[in-house]
Amino acid sequence: MKQNFLLQLHPLTKFYFSLFILVAVLIVPGYIFSFAVFPILVLIAILAGVTKEFLSIVLKALLSVLVIVFIMQMFFYPGDEVLWKAGIFSITQEGLDYGLLLTSRILAIGAVFILFFRMTEVRDFVKSLEDKGLPPMGAYVVLSTLQIIPEMRRQANTIMEAQKTRGVETEGSLFVRAKAFIPTLTPLILSSIASTEERAITLESRAFSAPVKKTSLHQLTKNSADRILPIVYVVILVGLLVWRFFL
Amino acid sequence: MKRNFKDDFNMMAMLLIPIAVAVNLVGFQLANVLRLPIFLDTIGTILVGVIAGPWVALLAGLITNLINAIFNPVYLPYALTSMAIGVGAGLLSKYGFFKKIPKTIVSGIIITFIAVIVSAPITVLVFGGATGNTSSLITATFLASGQQLWSAVFSSTFITEIADKVVSVLIVYFIVQKMSDRYLSKMNYGYLYMKRNNKK
Amino acid sequence: MTIMIDLKNVSYRYPVSDDFVLKNISFSIEKGKFSAIVGNNGSGKTTLCNTIRGFVPHFYKGDLDGEVIIDQTKMADYQLGQLGEKVGYVFQNPFIQVSGVKDNVFEEVAYGLENLGVPVEEIKIRVEEVLKLVKIEHLRDKNPFELSGGQRQRVALASIIVMDPEILVIDEPTSQLDPIGTEQIFDIIRLMKERGKTIILVEHKMDLIAEYADDLLVMHEGELVMQGPVREVFADPEFEKYQIQYPHVTEIALQLQKLGTALSFIPIRDEELAKALNRTGVAIHD
Repeated sequence: MKQNFLLQLHPLTKFYFSLFILVAVLIVPGYIFSFAVFPILVLIAILAGVTKEFLSIVLKALLSVLVIVFIMQMFFYPGDEVLWKAGIFSITQEGLDYGLLLTSRILAIGAVFILFFRMTEVRDFVKSLEDKGLPPMGAYVVLSTLQIIPEMRRQANTIMEAQKTRGVETEGSLFVRAKAFIPTLTPLILSSIASTEERAITLESRAFSAPVKKTSLHQLTKNSADRILPIVYVVILVGLLVWRFFL
Repeated sequence: MKRNFKDDFNMMAMLLIPIAVAVNLVGFQLANVLRLPIFLDTIGTILVGVIAGPWVALLAGLITNLINAIFNPVYLPYALTSMAIGVGAGLLSKYGFFKKIPKTIVSGIIITFIAVIVSAPITVLVFGGATGNTSSLITATFLASGQQLWSAVFSSTFITEIADKVVSVLIVYFIVQKMSDRYLSKMNYGYLYMKRNNKK
Repeated sequence: MTIMIDLKNVSYRYPVSDDFVLKNISFSIEKGKFSAIVGNNGSGKTTLCNTIRGFVPHFYKGDLDGEVIIDQTKMADYQLGQLGEKVGYVFQNPFIQVSGVKDNVFEEVAYGLENLGVPVEEIKIRVEEVLKLVKIEHLRDKNPFELSGGQRQRVALASIIVMDPEILVIDEPTSQLDPIGTEQIFDIIRLMKERGKTIILVEHKMDLIAEYADDLLVMHEGELVMQGPVREVFADPEFEKYQIQYPHVTEIALQLQKLGTALSFIPIRDEELAKALNRTGVAIHD
């Protein structure tokens, strides 16, 4: 990985930033602040050199949700101040406002988590949680899930190809296609479950449940930014709370 | 036989979780490839609920949504739904609901209710009633015909979930039937489904 | 000599089975000996390995009678987690024997030491050593999932050897490997013997057993039917009864003997055949 200051931050520093944005967006009323968060996230993405991945996933994951949420609120949110009316459909000022509020929050919160995972290796994040007290078995389960998924996808494709050559139809009517589902998935599930026993033995052979504290080749380091930033988040949040409720 | 939280978490049970998550994801992908009108994305969670109990399935559900959320954060709030489905399947299994087809179908309906009760409030409170999937269209139709938001979301979620969950539990039923006693004997709830016991 | 493995009247059956897979088995193995277990499928070899490794009864439940003593301590007094350092275990399927959480071979091999809580600096030194010993240095940065069966099996062996267990239990390590892969595995096993490890190996390739192993244990339908030095067991006419393969050269020699050729001894290694025949050959020409 490139020597990038933002990418080199401790995973938890980045994770706390996501939580910070989440809370801030919920504290500050109105949609202007929440919408303003997004350009900041884009700027961070540019500085971290992950702009392309970040924007493409935001588009893929969030765009349709935002459009639909907005339209729904615009038309169906109850309100009195009618801006436009056609038959049973009407747009109210309240609906427009709520639609903007909801979409601004979904965009800010969704985007900050998308950004987090573009800037953080899952392996590092899991390790940081382990350092914080996540049991080794929990860490193992998450990491092994990440390795099993592509493996199983590959196997599913292989089985499906094999089914096709044996004459199982994967095209045609709904019923025909539905029938292809079970012979593809069943052997995959049964063979994976059968392998858990040997996997358990493998792990025990590697002293997985040895009654000692594990060490790790993989070490995460904290620099001064990692110590300062979380404090900054908290100070800003407290400031926002004071401003919101006492001023 | 009494079981508690800790009994459910032996190594074999934990090793089922990655498989359950992968099955959820692959099932969903397969349903997509085959252009099926249902999601089939909780088969893994329900399966481990049935053979390994509610707590293991809860974790399987949680991790499924966390991993999906890496690429689409919309999944994140629905982690609650997946966890509830897992716990539900586990408890139903404990009380013998997956032993015969009729009761299995009943559990499919119960799991549908669980899914609806947990996910509809999330849809309303977090997303204002729609997230852009198929049920959003139905919700919009109900709203346009004058229904209230909550009842519109509840009914549309129910309609899209029922077929999915009943088919999923049936698939789980057939898979459990195909498992050998040798493996079932190592699973927390496997004894419920071993052919050997049933013959006696 | 110290006894490392001691079984006394051991019987075992799996939880879902009515039949005993191990029936009243007793034997003891001295420190530093290389013993091979042979027998047909279903004779209980793998279960016996699991018993020595402590997976029976710590992992597989079921009924275990008799006593298993590993390095002067009863199996029942060990915790499952403690045995990892004492008894190393490698089995047949090279594809499942990976931790499933490591991205490269170096980390994969280090995994057991991390679990044992060995300091990071020491881990690095020990892993380097083992990679060199097992000759897989060139694979160090490869993803374990991208390796061939033979490479994976060597990584699996390295991952166990690095933990430096006194006993190695190796269950059919070469059954899914080609001849070159097999040769490489046996090279490693030979090295381990030279280092004084006590080795238990289940294997079907009798030529290799004849070449490397000290003692032979013959399993048949859950019973230990024969045991002794390799040469004596192969030479014993009783061995034929269990329909287990002989080393090729022994097979040929026994055929010749049946046809009336006199042999000075029963050869078990290829190079011994000439010797076994030569003497008698000389005798004929006299």
